[in-house]
Amino acid sequence: MHTIGKVARMAGVSADTLRFYEAEGLLAPATKTASGYRLYDNDAVRRLHFIKHAQACGFTLSDVKELLTLQKKDNTCCEDVRTLVIEKKLQIERKLKALQAMSRALDGLIKSCEGGLSPTNDCPILGALDDSRGEASP
Amino acid sequence: MKVTIEVIAAPGCKSCSAKRSELRDVAISVLGEDNLLWREINVLDELDYAVALGVLSMPAIALNGELRFSSLPTRDQFRAALSTVGSR
Repeated sequence: MHTIGKVARMAGVSADTLRFYEAEGLLAPATKTASGYRLYDNDAVRRLHFIKHAQACGFTLSDVKELLTLQKKDNTCCEDVRTLVIEKKLQIERKLKALQAMSRALDGLIKSCEGGLSPTNDCPILGALDDSRGEASP
Repeated sequence: MKVTIEVIAAPGCKSCSAKRSELRDVAISVLGEDNLLWREINVLDELDYAVALGVLSMPAIALNGELRFSSLPTRDQFRAALSTVGSR
């Protein structure tokens, strides 16, 4: 059994994070001591690594909950999990495209001005952003 | 003019294949077989296209390049969508 502090250190999170995960129904301690201290077993540690790994892949805690539910359900299979992962990839690809469009718009703004010491009321970047025609939009 | 119906799904989605076949029959009954182009798209093969359509969940259906359903519709919902697609 591990204390909350030890488990938190092993996973690189805070003890508050573990309490939050518990409140969210993601991770429960195996038991509590008579004085109320949480104790975690190796299954809990494994689940915490699962949560951190899933988060690193872009899953939200709500997604993680869904993944964990799928893991427990009898009538689900790998295909259901794979579909969830593909849907997450679609979300990320969409965000990437939006970010790329923003990046291109910023390139346009950067090119519109060579910098210098001109007063800001002559600034082409501020002018472009202020343009009611929205030409600077991606 | 032919109506293009695209079903975007994850590969190996067997559970919905029977339903897709039902929806294809609905499309044929509403539009006629010669007036539709039915495409079943593997999302992993055409990910960029799926993203461009705005697909975030599957199976999704696009009519004439416009995302209309983010899960498989009922026969009635699909029939209703097909009956308006020509006027959009």
